[in-house]
Amino acid sequence: MKQKITQRSAWDRILAKLNKRSLWMLHYCTGCGAIELPPTMTARFDMERFGIVPMVTPRQADILLITGYLSIKTLKRIILSYEQMQAPKWVVGFGSCTINGGMYWNSYTTIKRLDMYLPVEIYIAGCMPRPEAIIQSFDTLINRIDKGVANSWKDYYTNYDFYRKNQEKVFGEIETYNDIKSDAEKFGIK
Amino acid sequence: MNTVLWIIFYPLIAFCIGILYMGYSRKFNARVERRYGPSWIQPIYDIFKLMSKRTNISHGWMHDISILMLLGGTILTLMFIPVPGFSFFSQYGDMLVIMYIILIPSLGMALGVGETANPNGSIGISRALMMLAGYDVPFALSFIGMGMLNHTTSMFRLIQIQQAHGIASWGIVTNPLLGLAALIALQGMMGEKPFEVYIAPHEIATGPMTEMGGKFLGMMFITHAITIFVELTIFINLFLGGAVTWIDLILKQVVVFTLILSVNIVFGRFRVDDAMRFMWKIPGSLAVLGILFIIF
Ligand code: SF4
Repeated sequence: MKQKITQRSAWDRILAKLNKRSLWMLHYCTGCGAIELPPTMTARFDMERFGIVPMVTPRQADILLITGYLSIKTLKRIILSYEQMQAPKWVVGFGSCTINGGMYWNSYTTIKRLDMYLPVEIYIAGCMPRPEAIIQSFDTLINRIDKGVANSWKDYYTNYDFYRKNQEKVFGEIETYNDIKSDAEKFGIK
Repeated sequence: MNTVLWIIFYPLIAFCIGILYMGYSRKFNARVERRYGPSWIQPIYDIFKLMSKRTNISHGWMHDISILMLLGGTILTLMFIPVPGFSFFSQYGDMLVIMYIILIPSLGMALGVGETANPNGSIGISRALMMLAGYDVPFALSFIGMGMLNHTTSMFRLIQIQQAHGIASWGIVTNPLLGLAALIALQGMMGEKPFEVYIAPHEIATGPMTEMGGKFLGMMFITHAITIFVELTIFINLFLGGAVTWIDLILKQVVVFTLILSVNIVFGRFRVDDAMRFMWKIPGSLAVLGILFIIF
């Protein structure tokens, strides 16, 4: 992804330094990959060192971790959950299933590329990725937040038509409860 | 002048100390689980993160006001609790006042969570109020017992009486039954396991906090920090002889808090009805026994 350099004020820099130390994660365990998360959280790899803790509701979360293949039914729930999260928020695609369909490439019920439907900040390759890879990807995310380039979430507000079109291609008419465009205007997200 | 300064800075001091306790509790839990754990000031990062969220979804004005009621009620309670150097308001309000206004935050939260219309939130709030009925009985009884024992309901006077003869006149020594009852009730009051029924992340998705995100949750974190300070100080003032200096106070708080955290880490969670029953049976009857000792 091309990195856009933007001008940041001193306050933004300070906030980024603080914010990167506290990331709450909603792990939407759809696929097989969820099994790698317990070791990442517990004594062996302990991601709370970095201030990353699992949270249970989308309202409180900053990271939406999507672990594995996405059937069409779950995709709808993920979109609803994602829209409930408060920006800044980041989607992390976990495992090759979210990148290109992985071993479910031929399946008729799963989607192939997650970034057609939601703005993905980081992908973790592998089937399935080991805890080291997960920690590494969080480290990358933290660095990107620090540099102020982790702005994929803005894409959903500014480029909503693209995502909506793809979503509707899969679902037909869908009803989501947040009006993204008026939200973008209200909170001044450009 | 001095009093005005205290009124302004007292909540700030309580917040700073409380936030360190929050960090301490996370580090403590991590070390017991043989993890490295987050940094000591992790809750401060969390609060900054929450307060700097770009979008913020409100469910209506009741939702907004409830958060203020939560914070305001907690600060109001704080004001009535004497600490070394500041006991201005405790002349005007005794322990009975504290017992009443300590309920305001819970009620405020109930109103706000009702507005968010999330079923998990409603379950959480009904559990919180049930738990309140659970721990308030032993706690109120031990309040009353201490009042009867010392012939006063003023917390300030109570501290003076307890400090008259050193440790021998501490509430926990003069009436250990009441002290024990209040200590168990304190566990429920702070919402630590095994009485964590209304947060229960794996069961009802943090209950009242389900719909709270961003700045709402940030305010709740701030309130929680002050609440920890308030509850620990109430217990210390009632049973551990108050404190002469701030170092004394903090030392006692750390000891009591560590005790509560150690119970928290080894227990699972009670079911709601079990928690209620336990609260009324064990600490409840301990407190009644303690009062009977005082009467006869
Ligand atoms: S990437 Fe592999 S491990 Fe992950 S969900 Fe797909 S098939 Fe399962």
